[in-house]
Amino acid sequence: MEQFIYYIRISLLSIKRAPLPYALTIFILSVGLGVFFANATFYYQLNSDPLPHKSDKLFFPMTLIVPHDCNDCLPPRILSYSNVQKLSSSDIPSAKAAMYSANGYARLHAEQPPVPVTLRITQRDFFSMFDVPLRHGSVWPDDNARDEVLLSRAMALKLFGRINVIGEQLLLDDRYFSVIGVLDHWQMLPRLYDANGRNHLSPGEDIFLPLETGYDLNYQSRTNSRTFDQTDYRKLSTEGRTGARHMLQYWVQLDTPAQQQAYRQFMLNLANAEKAAGRHPSPINNQLIAMADIVDYFGDDPGDIKAFALVTLLFLLVCLFNASHLSLNRYLSNQYEFSLRRALGASRSQLQQQMLADVLIMAAFTLVGALLTGYACIQLMNQLLPNNSLFSHWNLTLLLSLLTITFACSYLVTLYPSLRASFGNLNQQLKE
Amino acid sequence: MSFYLLCKVLFSRKVVTTLLLLQLAMALALLLNSILLAQQTQQQLTQPTGLDLEHTLQVQLKPATASLRVYPALQDLLDRQLQAVQAIPGVIAAAYANQSVLVQGGNGGNLYDIEQEERTNVPYVPLYFVSKDFFTVLNVNVLQGELPHYTTPFGDTAQPEVILTQSIAEQLFAGQPAVGREVNLGRVAAVISDFYGQRRSDNVMFNSLQVTPPYSVDWGYSILLRTEPAQTAAVRQQLANVLRAVEPNIELFHISNLAEQHQRVYSNEYGLAMLLAILTALMLLVTMISSYSSTHFHALKRQQEIGIKRALGATKITIALELLAENWLCTALGALFGLGLALFLNQALAQVISIPPLNWWLPLLTSAILLLCVTLATWYPASIATRVSPASATKAL
Amino acid sequence: MITLSNLSKIFRTELIETHALRDVSLQVNEGEFAALTGPSGSGKSTLLNILGTLENFDSGDYLLDGTSVQGLSDAALSRLRNEKIGFIFQSFNLIKDFSIYDNIELPLRYRGLKASERKQRIEQALELVGLHARRDYLPGQLSGGQQQRVAIARAIAGEPRILLADEPTGNLDSLMARQVMELLEKINQQGCTILMVTHDPDQARRAGRNIQIVDGQLHDSTLYEPLSAQSA
Repeated sequence: MEQFIYYIRISLLSIKRAPLPYALTIFILSVGLGVFFANATFYYQLNSDPLPHKSDKLFFPMTLIVPHDCNDCLPPRILSYSNVQKLSSSDIPSAKAAMYSANGYARLHAEQPPVPVTLRITQRDFFSMFDVPLRHGSVWPDDNARDEVLLSRAMALKLFGRINVIGEQLLLDDRYFSVIGVLDHWQMLPRLYDANGRNHLSPGEDIFLPLETGYDLNYQSRTNSRTFDQTDYRKLSTEGRTGARHMLQYWVQLDTPAQQQAYRQFMLNLANAEKAAGRHPSPINNQLIAMADIVDYFGDDPGDIKAFALVTLLFLLVCLFNASHLSLNRYLSNQYEFSLRRALGASRSQLQQQMLADVLIMAAFTLVGALLTGYACIQLMNQLLPNNSLFSHWNLTLLLSLLTITFACSYLVTLYPSLRASFGNLNQQLKE
Repeated sequence: MSFYLLCKVLFSRKVVTTLLLLQLAMALALLLNSILLAQQTQQQLTQPTGLDLEHTLQVQLKPATASLRVYPALQDLLDRQLQAVQAIPGVIAAAYANQSVLVQGGNGGNLYDIEQEERTNVPYVPLYFVSKDFFTVLNVNVLQGELPHYTTPFGDTAQPEVILTQSIAEQLFAGQPAVGREVNLGRVAAVISDFYGQRRSDNVMFNSLQVTPPYSVDWGYSILLRTEPAQTAAVRQQLANVLRAVEPNIELFHISNLAEQHQRVYSNEYGLAMLLAILTALMLLVTMISSYSSTHFHALKRQQEIGIKRALGATKITIALELLAENWLCTALGALFGLGLALFLNQALAQVISIPPLNWWLPLLTSAILLLCVTLATWYPASIATRVSPASATKAL
Repeated sequence: MITLSNLSKIFRTELIETHALRDVSLQVNEGEFAALTGPSGSGKSTLLNILGTLENFDSGDYLLDGTSVQGLSDAALSRLRNEKIGFIFQSFNLIKDFSIYDNIELPLRYRGLKASERKQRIEQALELVGLHARRDYLPGQLSGGQQQRVAIARAIAGEPRILLADEPTGNLDSLMARQVMELLEKINQQGCTILMVTHDPDQARRAGRNIQIVDGQLHDSTLYEPLSAQSA
């Protein structure tokens, strides 16, 4: 220990001797690592798996059952009500839920000003499929229409000022609903069940409404919707249920490869039957995409974070080169001292221990600098690319990896210079 | 100093020179690509829109109760709102529309000449339902035909006539007069000059319009108005209150002029270009530090050498030039490698974002910027180095 | 050739002033071989540096070839050094990573000579010091004596009027020292004025003139002609 403290003291002394080059080295390493870390944060969070134990068991089935003939079309990313009914006629999935999102206005009574809210209009299995935690109450007993809603924790607090509001009434647009459940803290990021068109980057919904009620009350999808025939989208409860009005996402849970295979076969049979019935003029094109692959499949990833990742990596490299350049200069100026120490009998391994002390100190300074730069950079990125702002938080894994990377970089930056200084030709340096 | 000796000095310090070269190359690659991206964003933001961006205001809003979203209550609301807005001093014209212009995406559908559906079908063209003053608000020119004189009321059995922008008319009818032809939405009544509708359509100038109230306002609607240039700010300030006074049960999403809206549509590109620009500035700073410290250090290391040269008759300027020349040579070499790297980075970036390819003059410009930065950074240590006293530097230990 | 009149040099630190040279007057004529001796710290290196225009002085005047060096710009002084003065240092002061040839070429390049002329002069100088075969060696590959001969070759390649040598044999053994001295004498015979700082009384005796410097003041072994008489 005493020896270690001695090494640290020597390191600090040599920093004090030439503070500017050292400060520049730290600065450059901090900036490089900070910028890299800020982007790595987004990259890591955006590509993280919100349901690691399930993301390969939840599937989005899509089928090209549309009333027009298209040879090279992919199946629409959104499904019609009738297609969902056909797809859910199978018992193979252990859970299944259709859903879409809509806008609405909520308040407790008509005299209050309306609060704009987002709705997820869905079915019972949604909550179990996506591991949604319930704080109070329960979900709907079946998938029928009913004037019952579940609230997010934040929404309950906002409307009622408390969380346990089971049995309370609220006015959603022009209709009263009773609250049967309140969620606990829940933020699925990225929100992969809604991956179409980068919606998975946005926060979750406030109020959950049964799918049938949503159709009955003519709630329009707030994201993507398309009509492939003459269906009047303002008549969701009637034409919308039968026509080619596409606006639904549909998820099924298929736990085993056998189930997945069986469901694929079911979809194929369905498409064939539809074709035979003349309702499927296009070639058969079924897709069954796992949740883990859905963002890639839709290809809506904005690419800015990826592009920036490439560039920050390059920047980190430059900073590393630069810092090692600076530190090489520093060590070469201290070479005389190194040689003197070796002349006085220090072994190379003792010099390497000294170097390790240097690395530790450098890593400590750099870590602080990198965290500060990283934080500032994240704030800046939130300003400039606000779409990704939900993905800017740090967790233990991220911080630990930053620590490791910082240490590795400090080591790399110190390694070659110190080797060169301690392995140089003793004779010649002393004579100089 | 001869080029040969310069190279010799440079390459006698293999590791340091390699490090410096790599840095310079990467700095150039990054600089080049971020300028490209910034340039592209700039172009996107300055492309013609056919609109008076500064003096056209837009309000995006939605009735907050379901009863106001159905006719005839909706028609009444729209009329009252228009009337109130038109009464604000400084407003030249006001109109409602189912969606605003200069937006990311919105309402639209396929459009084709019904005589030649196969050949002319355009998969997605924005469809605007507007009130009759919409054209005055946007200040567009009527190029063919005549604008409808009245608003087709909601639910009218007669199909409203269609107005096309020049680009889409051209696309559908290939130079033939469009007025009187039938498209899947109805009979074409007029062709107007182009304006920027939605970014997601194939051509941002493709637009189709009908003078009729919005089919549905479940996604909100827009009120657009053009003001006297001097009164834009004043009008804008009053808008929210005027609209709330007409009907408090509305949600105002935002009020902005079209210039702001234009920026919002490209905010992602703008953000990325800004970030890259900041990163490039940092990169240049780091490169400058590197040049500075390398010159400083080597001048220190070579004090004796510089002293000898001074004794042999080199002037201060010669010494400074020698040091600068070393860095210039290094920069030139780095820039050369950087060009290759820039090409590679450009292609890699093109995989994930849209970025224009390299052109011939940008490498020259960026190399010049790099050279300037390196010169600036080298200047101080080089001038310090020339102050070496030859007398003391040439003395033995 | 060289005329110093009442020249003084003072080194100042915050605490003390040291008179390195006091009121020195000196006349060196064309073709002389003068030895400058004196104990350590007596000011001989300072004098040599001033003569070589490597250092400036505080008062008095220094005429080189009839022109005062006082007030000359850095560029003019550099040219003066380059064209009229050759230096030989105790520690040779060759540039380590330059070959012998490159080292000798350096002052010629500063003078802006054409490549063919440079080549010719370098060959001549190498011939004179007898190192023609080693032209592509690096200084580190040569012995001390050889290195000093390279330094001499570098000094004379520019055909200077004056050669200033600061203990040229100080780092050499006696055999090598003798070779270097013989070389210097040969150069002197060809008409080059030489001023040499030395510790070695034998070497001092071999020089035609012996100037002693003690505590910044000169004691000339030869007849000292007053300035006024000289200029008259």
